Amino acid sequence: MGQDERHYNINKLNMLFAFASIALLLAIMSLFMKDYDREWKDYQTQFRAMEVEKARVKLDKETLTLEAQDEYNELVAQLEKAQAEFDAKCALTDEIKASLKEVEDQAILVEQDYKFRKAELDALKYKFEHAEAYQEADAEKYGEEFQALSERVNELGLQLEVSKQALKAKEQEIKSCGEELKQLRRSQSKIAGQRDLLQRKLDSIDPAEMTFVNQIANLVRDLPVLDLANPNNKIEQVVLKDVTDNVNFMNVPKVERCISCHLGITNPDYENEVQPFKTHPNLEQYVGKNSPHPIEEFGCTVCHGGRARGTSFNGAVHVPSSPAQKAEWEEKYGYHQMELWEDPMIPLPLTQSQCFKCHSGETRIKGADKLNLGLSLIEKSGCYACHEIDKYKHWNKPGPDLTKLDTKISKEWAYRWINDPHSFRHNAMMPAYFNQSNNSDPVSLKRSSQEIHAMIHYLFENTQPFQQAKLPVKGNAETGEELVKSIGCYACHQIKPEADLVKTDIDNLRRRHGPNLIGLGSKTSKQWLFNWLKDPTRYHPKTSMPDMRLTDQEAADIAEFLSGDKNREFDAQPVPEIDVNILNGIVIDFLKRGLTDQGARDKLAQMKLGEKLHFAGEKLISQYGCYSCHNIKGFEGAKPIGVELTEEASKSIHKFDFGFLHIEHSKHAWFTQKLKDPRSFDHGKIKAPDEKLRMPNFEFKDEEIEAIVTALMGFVNTSTVEAKKVPRTPENLIKEKGQDLIAQFNCQGCHIMEGNGGTIASTVETWLKEYEGKTDNEAATVRDSFSPPNLHGVGKKLDPEWLFNFLHEPKQIVRPWLRVRMPTFNFNVSHLNSLIQYFQAVDGDAFPYKFDPDTKMTKEEYAAAEKLFSEDYFGCTQCHVVGGKLPSGSQDSWAPNLALARTRLQPEWLIEWLKNPSALMPGTKMPTFFDPDSYEESGPEDILDGNEDEQIRVLRNFLMSLSDDTPEPEAKAKPRPKSTTAPKKAAPAESNP
Amino acid sequence: MIETIKEVINKITNPQILFPILAVSYLFVFPMNNFFEKINRKLGIYKLWTRNGGILMMSGLFAFFCFGISDPNFRKIVSKPDNVPIVGLLFLVVFFLWLSMKQAYDNDARIAAGKPPQEAEDAKEKILVWPDLVYIEFICLILCSVLLLVWAMALQAPIEEPANPSVSPNPSKAPWYFLGLQEMLVYFDPWLAGVVFPTVIMIGLMAIPYIDNNKKGSGYYTFNDRRMAVSIFMFLWIVLWIFLISVGTFLRGPNWNFFGPFEYWDLHKLEALTNVNLSELIYMIWMKKQLPSNILLREMWGFLAVFVYFGVMPLLLAKTVLKNVFKNLGPLRYSVFVILLLFTASLPIKMLLRWVFNIKYIIAIPEFFFNI
Repeated sequence: MGQDERHYNINKLNMLFAFASIALLLAIMSLFMKDYDREWKDYQTQFRAMEVEKARVKLDKETLTLEAQDEYNELVAQLEKAQAEFDAKCALTDEIKASLKEVEDQAILVEQDYKFRKAELDALKYKFEHAEAYQEADAEKYGEEFQALSERVNELGLQLEVSKQALKAKEQEIKSCGEELKQLRRSQSKIAGQRDLLQRKLDSIDPAEMTFVNQIANLVRDLPVLDLANPNNKIEQVVLKDVTDNVNFMNVPKVERCISCHLGITNPDYENEVQPFKTHPNLEQYVGKNSPHPIEEFGCTVCHGGRARGTSFNGAVHVPSSPAQKAEWEEKYGYHQMELWEDPMIPLPLTQSQCFKCHSGETRIKGADKLNLGLSLIEKSGCYACHEIDKYKHWNKPGPDLTKLDTKISKEWAYRWINDPHSFRHNAMMPAYFNQSNNSDPVSLKRSSQEIHAMIHYLFENTQPFQQAKLPVKGNAETGEELVKSIGCYACHQIKPEADLVKTDIDNLRRRHGPNLIGLGSKTSKQWLFNWLKDPTRYHPKTSMPDMRLTDQEAADIAEFLSGDKNREFDAQPVPEIDVNILNGIVIDFLKRGLTDQGARDKLAQMKLGEKLHFAGEKLISQYGCYSCHNIKGFEGAKPIGVELTEEASKSIHKFDFGFLHIEHSKHAWFTQKLKDPRSFDHGKIKAPDEKLRMPNFEFKDEEIEAIVTALMGFVNTSTVEAKKVPRTPENLIKEKGQDLIAQFNCQGCHIMEGNGGTIASTVETWLKEYEGKTDNEAATVRDSFSPPNLHGVGKKLDPEWLFNFLHEPKQIVRPWLRVRMPTFNFNVSHLNSLIQYFQAVDGDAFPYKFDPDTKMTKEEYAAAEKLFSEDYFGCTQCHVVGGKLPSGSQDSWAPNLALARTRLQPEWLIEWLKNPSALMPGTKMPTFFDPDSYEESGPEDILDGNEDEQIRVLRNFLMSLSDDTPEPEAKAKPRPKSTTAPKKAAPAESNP
Repeated sequence: MIETIKEVINKITNPQILFPILAVSYLFVFPMNNFFEKINRKLGIYKLWTRNGGILMMSGLFAFFCFGISDPNFRKIVSKPDNVPIVGLLFLVVFFLWLSMKQAYDNDARIAAGKPPQEAEDAKEKILVWPDLVYIEFICLILCSVLLLVWAMALQAPIEEPANPSVSPNPSKAPWYFLGLQEMLVYFDPWLAGVVFPTVIMIGLMAIPYIDNNKKGSGYYTFNDRRMAVSIFMFLWIVLWIFLISVGTFLRGPNWNFFGPFEYWDLHKLEALTNVNLSELIYMIWMKKQLPSNILLREMWGFLAVFVYFGVMPLLLAKTVLKNVFKNLGPLRYSVFVILLLFTASLPIKMLLRWVFNIKYIIAIPEFFFNI
């Protein structure tokens, strides 16, 4: 075919074809490169280099330590010597090798011969048997042959054994020569095992230490395409079978690939490295092999959120903690938010929220301080009253009962309070509904004032009678002040403005369990206070305020003192008049909901002012949800007004209305904004008054908001982590129930329980300084003796029955010198049982089976016990109260009433206690009479033949026999000298039990 | 200044404005009869199909995208991996439209000068299948592979969140090739937009060879010889197909609301829904009285309108505007043709009725799920 027949220029086409082919090649290559090039591979390469570096450093260190040891050096010298000897004597010379070879050859030849003959024999055996069986002619011939061959085989067998023996002997000879060397090598590797291990590790990972062939293999295994076999760089993952991802149609096991980049996460060597190699903090608690949350079982995203299968920075849906970090990430990793993943990582400051997923039953989760603070704030602020939260379903309404309101406060005070509670007390628990960002325009302000009037009218109209006793005696404010400071009011209340600088923490919140009492004189009357203090439940049946068992005089004193504090500024706030026009507007808005416009007007025209106020008040209370927190007549059983929060953080982000606010579109940002300014999402919206957002403002501080957001982020659907939850065993349930009660009644305001609480101690210290004339140092040392006891180990220690009665009504006073009083709480039987079960569960003590040991004593035993008890030996009465008898020692060291031991203490516990008190209560002031280190010699030799066990037993039995009406021990004891010197042994009160 | 331009564009791109503009200018760009042809010539619109016209159109389109890309909202929509092919589609459609029309106009000029069309000249040349054709096909194949590979690397597959039966994406969009149908759903009841129209479209396409008895224009590009056919096709293709796909892709945002190309897709944007049925318009708004309770009485006007449209209009058209067509095709072909034509026209008519009179349905019998 001629050139002229071609339509196109062939050269041009060829060029085009070449260009297209090269382009295709490049495209395919870049396709491979793109597929091959992954972030995690770079990290793994970096990590391997770090591993090599770390192993080298460790190896050097180990070698240096070894070389510093004489033993090792000696061994090395010996080894060298032995090696030299070995080389000289035992080295395999050609001669030896040749002779060995000869013997070997011989053996092999004989063996082969033997095997062949054996095979022939077997074949012949068959022929012979066959011939015999069928009586063939040549049977006899075969018989002879068989006989001959089997003899030959036997002979060969013997030969073979001999030659094998010879070979063995020869080998043994060569081997035995190096025996000493081997022995030395073994002992060397014993000493230098660690180093050899490191060396082996280095050999396998460090290219510099590898053989040339291995180096090549090391390179090749990571090349594109070839890396399918056994690459260095590979995705590391943990598969969690019992934790699932909900992909809407099914639950699939979680596959955690975070460790593909976070390679040093469980390795403590990487503590100071940068991300992603850094070690996880607190390995004993999280991620570590022996921690309660090992990575193999819990993975990473169960607690951190994010996309578990992601293997790139953005693919794992990291979330920055701050705008600064976001900027840093954008620069470093090309960070962008992955909007389509519904479960992004929890920002680091809020990570504790995820503890709540599995530990939701616990009231305070150990180690999760921020979460605990958040939960405490939710409890204290009463969020659960408007917003249903599963955990708090059974909790009482947080606000006071308003059904007897008229006896407590005036309408004017109520107006000012509702209008701006924080102007009365800067940290009032009541949140602010008015003067907020969506109702502070002039029109709304006018309307607000009339709304408040209407609500107050309703509240004061719907009251029930409350008989107030007259003050029987005149109170003394000064005595009242001392009482308030000493009997324990400060466990829950404060009577001073709190500096804004004070950081909110759990202790702080315990001391604010009840309202701050400043300005009480402006709020209520002396008489009301007197009646309230005498019996709080009469006014508010479900109050958590306990009965302090005050005498009339004491109650009057306290009432006098508290009512003396008045807030003049607050009292001076003007209360606007009722404006009928505005009120009509409010009433008609509500009327229109059920009536036509004209109907509403007609109805309004018929209403008197009182009716209008009542009508509007009722509707407004319902609108603002006042009844969620307060008991209000007419709203019994009404449903709370807020949205349920139990699984709030699992709600899709699209369900949060960000309005016209330009904030980050994330749940935590929304929660933060909502708590900062609950009405701000109304910004820029046009709404009728009853459509506006109504969540009130609690004026939380920033750190409080962060803590609450932490808790909120933990309120999620937990169906995917069901298997990881704290097991629902009876013990755990009992503990959780107890903790819940402790939080409700603020037991830890006074007592240390499970290592937390006892916040009242600092105020006891102040009291000691102010009223008891102690110096700072003294007060600090003895404050624990004057504070409520530490309840560590109470479950094992106290008799359940006694504890039940004591909690129900603390009549028997164990520590008569304490000014702080155990109040009479409003516990019901279920509360009491739960608490006792709780104490026992915490100590791992079985309930309710109790073993009552025999506490009878013979006369001799009694005498011996009496001696031990006396001044001459242990001198128990120096510190311990016994019935009405007070101890002889200084008040700072007084200890519980021993006359109560019989009913109060558990006999087995008493034995353990006498044996070694500080083992049961670390830091106790009870002296150790029997030294646990030399127990056999510790007791006095002259009593009961120096048998310590017996001594303790009789002393225990003796103590169990004491009672208020057993004066004998005191009478029989030697008259005590009235010395004021300190006790011989530093034996003050057991610190707190 | 730039902001003003953007706002003007946002306003203009609203289908209520853009569609009429397109529909009217279409008449002049693809003149159906001598009247429009004259105006076309007078205004020099035909120059679009010259070399300079092509450069102008392509660079205009290109300039528009260059201008828009600086706007974050525009960039976000245009660069979405889902939408990139549609951007490509716009450029390709304009280019090939120009190419074919240029050839058609060139041929028309040749024929007017008494010469055969360009294709007749080409036919004299010979191309060997092997190696010429196969070779260039092979090169094309390689280049297309390169294009696809590079595209796949440059734009990640647009994978979204795990499917959740209780959460539907907003906006929920059909695949691009169905966006025209989805757009029709705004104006018609689903049984019409989803069932009847697609069926009619397919039947119509099958019927074309039997209806078209014009022997001219076979084997070469021409406009003059097939004015009617080309312009009807262009309307269906450019205005009712490409335009509606573009609207569905770029201009329909959350809640299927309309958003200008430079507008932020605000989830909370609300549009007033004040549409009425024809019966409501006639009885309540014009006659100021209640709707009759009898369904037939109530929908009488709608039935009348539909009857006039499909029953009377063909006759009227046969006597007036389509007199020549009727003569050419004969009664049977004519009636098939005119019914198909009326179906086609019903979409823009309904759109206009919606925009001008807020008409929801011509016939609305929700009692029997029958709405037109």
